[in-house]
Amino acid sequence: MDEVGCAAPGTAPSGPEREARGSPRGNWMATHPKLTEMMSLDVADSTQVYAAFLVYLDLLEGRNWHEVTCVGLAELQLVCLRAHEREAENLQVVVPTPVHMSFTHQRLREIMKKACIPQDGTDSPLSVILAIVESDSTVVYYKLTDGFIMPDPPDDTEDVDNKQWRKKRRKLLR
Amino acid sequence: MIRIHVLEGAALVWSVEDAREIRERFRLVGTLVGALARKPRQNARLGLPLQLLPEEARLLAELGAAVLVRGTEIQPPAEGEEPTQASEVEAYQRELEESYQEQQRLAGAERGALLARLAERIAQGRARRREQRGETPDTAEDSGLLDSPFVLPRDSMMVQLPTARRHPGQVERVDWTSPSPDWPHAGCPAHEARYRVFRELWGRGYYLSGGSKFGGDFLVYPGDPLRFHAHYIALCCPQGAPLPLRTLVAAARLGTGVKKTLLLCSPGPSGALAFTSLQWSGLQ
Repeated sequence: MDEVGCAAPGTAPSGPEREARGSPRGNWMATHPKLTEMMSLDVADSTQVYAAFLVYLDLLEGRNWHEVTCVGLAELQLVCLRAHEREAENLQVVVPTPVHMSFTHQRLREIMKKACIPQDGTDSPLSVILAIVESDSTVVYYKLTDGFIMPDPPDDTEDVDNKQWRKKRRKLLR
Repeated sequence: MIRIHVLEGAALVWSVEDAREIRERFRLVGTLVGALARKPRQNARLGLPLQLLPEEARLLAELGAAVLVRGTEIQPPAEGEEPTQASEVEAYQRELEESYQEQQRLAGAERGALLARLAERIAQGRARRREQRGETPDTAEDSGLLDSPFVLPRDSMMVQLPTARRHPGQVERVDWTSPSPDWPHAGCPAHEARYRVFRELWGRGYYLSGGSKFGGDFLVYPGDPLRFHAHYIALCCPQGAPLPLRTLVAAARLGTGVKKTLLLCSPGPSGALAFTSLQWSGLQ
């Protein structure tokens, strides 16, 4: 768990004495109200909370999501986020996790069951977004859905008729 | 009854009727792995035998549509015994000679018919050439040429190369429910887990093939793979097996790159199989 670079910088001894060091503004991350709020939920270890905080920033600042809130799930030892991708859209659940974590399929399904908010009026399947945080704070998002989700249809078939394909077909039919 | 020949864990079908029935009646695909006799130096198109996944073979056996068999004729010839009977060689040579005589007769008849059809044109051509050389036409010589004896050269003769065994060898049945050197899959946890998933997906009407091309256990097609792209890359996760995020990311990202959904499959707490779709989400 204590992988270098994944631990929250300065989360362990946070307090007024840390603010005096470093840049004039101090360690703004360690005292960010949202991070403090996530820590105070006291449900997960600091690496997961830090990952949740980075995802929070990414959603809010990088992707302009709306009404991003954090929820503590003590049972799963997770801080997860809820937000709207666009104002009019449904609330989505984002589960942040550091990249070095290992899950089992059972745990993923448990997370889906417990973290997902049932959507009113629709019988859409359970679905959460897994946000995987790299040590350089890159975040990649994967959508987990219960059951079978058909992939997007293949691209336009216009390139089927190009020269290369005809050549290949000739070769195969020879 | 379909015969599936097992050899060190590989399941092979050698009969074209069986291979066809497996695909058309049971929606099982397998892979053709044999070189084509007339095009041996390529692998774009292959022929029999049809290799089945262990799961495909087991499904057929479980449905009672196939038996697993292994050959029993592999022991080397005993001391002093010729590997091939002299009488068999003799019979083969005799057959070859008979075939040659037959071909010689047919080719001669063909040649005669052709010459007869063209006799007039040949005669005209000869006459013309003689005229050019200033000789007098000699009709006796011209007609005599048509009757010259014809010999079919031995190396022009056609030889039948048998690509299938004319007399199937001795086989014995292999019990697919217990492990043996030729069927080591029975009872193996990975096989059992894969088989449950295979059977469930097949039962839902999907076509399946091996998924190693895309790093999964199976590729799941909505119809015959000749007509459809796969929709899913199925990854079997036995209960409690760790699933590192890097593996998940790699598999799901590859799946997205080829327009397929990664499908995690494992038995749930109630015993029923649970399926989870995983798709890369750009969130732009």
